[in-house]
Amino acid sequence: MTPNGAAAFALIVIVAAVAAHSLIGLAVLLALCLAFGGIELGGRTLNAFAWPVGVVAPLALFMGIVWIGVVGRSPAEIAAGVSGARTAALGYVTVVCARLFLVALAIRLVVLRFADSTPLAFIGALKAPLTAKKLIALTLSWMDTILHAVDRSRTALVTAGIIAPRLSLRNAANGWILVQTVWLSVVTIAIGRLRDKWPAESTLARLEEALRAPAPSLTPRDGWWMAAAIAALAAAPVA
Amino acid sequence: MDRELITGGNFSGRSAALRRRLQRNGGQSFFLGPYAEAALSGLSSTVTDEIAVYARDARRAAFAPLDWSGFGRRKPATLSGGEQVLLALHCFSRSAYETIGIDTALEQLDAQNRAAALDYLGGAESGQRVVLIDNRLDPAAPAPPWSRREAADGPDPADAAETATAAARYACDLAGIISELRPRTAPAIALRGVDFAYGSDRPIFRALNLALEPGRAYRLIGRNGAGKTTFFKLLVGVLAPACGTILLDGAAYRPRASGNRAFALATQNPDHQWCGATLAEDIARRRRALAGRGDVMPPSDALLGSLARKLGVRASDQHLYELPLAARKRLSWLWPFSGAMPWIMLDEPTVGQDRDTSAGLAAIVSHLCAIGYGIMVVTHDEEFAGRIAHSPLRIEGMTVQPE
Repeated sequence: MTPNGAAAFALIVIVAAVAAHSLIGLAVLLALCLAFGGIELGGRTLNAFAWPVGVVAPLALFMGIVWIGVVGRSPAEIAAGVSGARTAALGYVTVVCARLFLVALAIRLVVLRFADSTPLAFIGALKAPLTAKKLIALTLSWMDTILHAVDRSRTALVTAGIIAPRLSLRNAANGWILVQTVWLSVVTIAIGRLRDKWPAESTLARLEEALRAPAPSLTPRDGWWMAAAIAALAAAPVA
Repeated sequence: MDRELITGGNFSGRSAALRRRLQRNGGQSFFLGPYAEAALSGLSSTVTDEIAVYARDARRAAFAPLDWSGFGRRKPATLSGGEQVLLALHCFSRSAYETIGIDTALEQLDAQNRAAALDYLGGAESGQRVVLIDNRLDPAAPAPPWSRREAADGPDPADAAETATAAARYACDLAGIISELRPRTAPAIALRGVDFAYGSDRPIFRALNLALEPGRAYRLIGRNGAGKTTFFKLLVGVLAPACGTILLDGAAYRPRASGNRAFALATQNPDHQWCGATLAEDIARRRRALAGRGDVMPPSDALLGSLARKLGVRASDQHLYELPLAARKRLSWLWPFSGAMPWIMLDEPTVGQDRDTSAGLAAIVSHLCAIGYGIMVVTHDEEFAGRIAHSPLRIEGMTVQPE
């Protein structure tokens, strides 16, 4: 399978998840993702579930409290002006969370499928305009920059005793200082790069050259998965 | 071939002079700055990708004192300072750039890697032109092939005026600091059976046993990436040992539960230790964190203000990130010198500092030992280490041993 085939597969599944209106349609997509995981990832399929569960669980908890516990009706019932029921609210929450879960799962499956490749090699192999590839690479690099800034700010504040390395009331009171310190760090890192490193080297031009590799052609295996995803896309909204 | 060593002290305009020389090349020079953000591209998530950004049909030998294949999946930002410099040099050696400018970055390398880097840069293979700032090469008579170039040789008179202003603005009085230092009695430290690993595949310490006495300076020695900074992070509670105990004067010390109450850390990159946007904010937050803890006495505002002035920063509303890097580095010693904590940990304190400043810092460190503090210092600066009576501790084979 090629990165382009995997990216297209994930994109179609995401569109289908957004278009699906029922749990049956979403179940079809889940089955497709499980099949993809089973065939492409083998034993690593279960690993793919941890991240989507982590992403969706807080949302599910929040929506459950608000829609099922407090509101007690689904949005459709509110729009129709009927009294409604908590089971309808439960159905609504389940569909929204299942959609988000499938979106996260599709992305995670592709990431794990190409775990042996590096992010730059994966992006470079995509059949996309150079500007789009650069944008993806820069987005990833900024995510890494923010994570690095979090790490170094945490080190500073823990060493000074302003926050604790574990759960603590002090962290609730001083968490905003961590946020401020992270952003100061991000700005400093950005200035260091933009003022000193990048102008001297034309570093972004080097990135362009690194991403300019020719994209490999789609394989029959890509075609099968894309066809299965398109079939699921067609079936999901009407199921 | 051209091998230039730009000489001059801090605030002599040497960094600006280096940048000017590179700019003449129209964005076609490799730049290796003193810290990660100016050493690595910032465009890659793995070491393999960092190399891929630069790798072209290089017409020179690779500089590879480390086997980078073993680092492939590591994030460049998680490498030690020295490893980052070695990675940047490797990237340059694989690139098509013919000029490289290095601003004090080689000072982070251990003796062996530094010798290898200087050999490479001085040799015919490294490129057509190397422009270097390095406080540890003899500025009066640098060894061949390096030719000396004064920072003030620059063509722009506006730069000269700006340089003179900066030198006056950030002038420090390290000798005057000694009279301000308050005596302390540091506790003895004991580590028993400490294990630490980054994940399951990178063990750093195994069954580490060590005893450190107050009133002494210890120098941690080890290859780049051996775990020197990790050792500091374990003591301040940023990292948690997998097992083992840390004792202060025989009592269990758990910084992750009770907070750090013994160690003042000046980090290798000064920007890794600020707790606020301005000096006043940074100090106020540190003092507030200590307030109400009977076992720690926060230093007074007056003392901190006086120390800051002697370290070259005269206004408490000074934005830390607007200071020049050399001034930030000096200011990073403020909290350790304030007497807030009885043990002082200095991580590569002389990187980017000229020889006069290094000598002044060595005098302060010696005095701190004499008045009861415990000192741990990581430095690859032999001249600085030679000025301090110290006990070497070697980090090797996942343990720390007195030499």
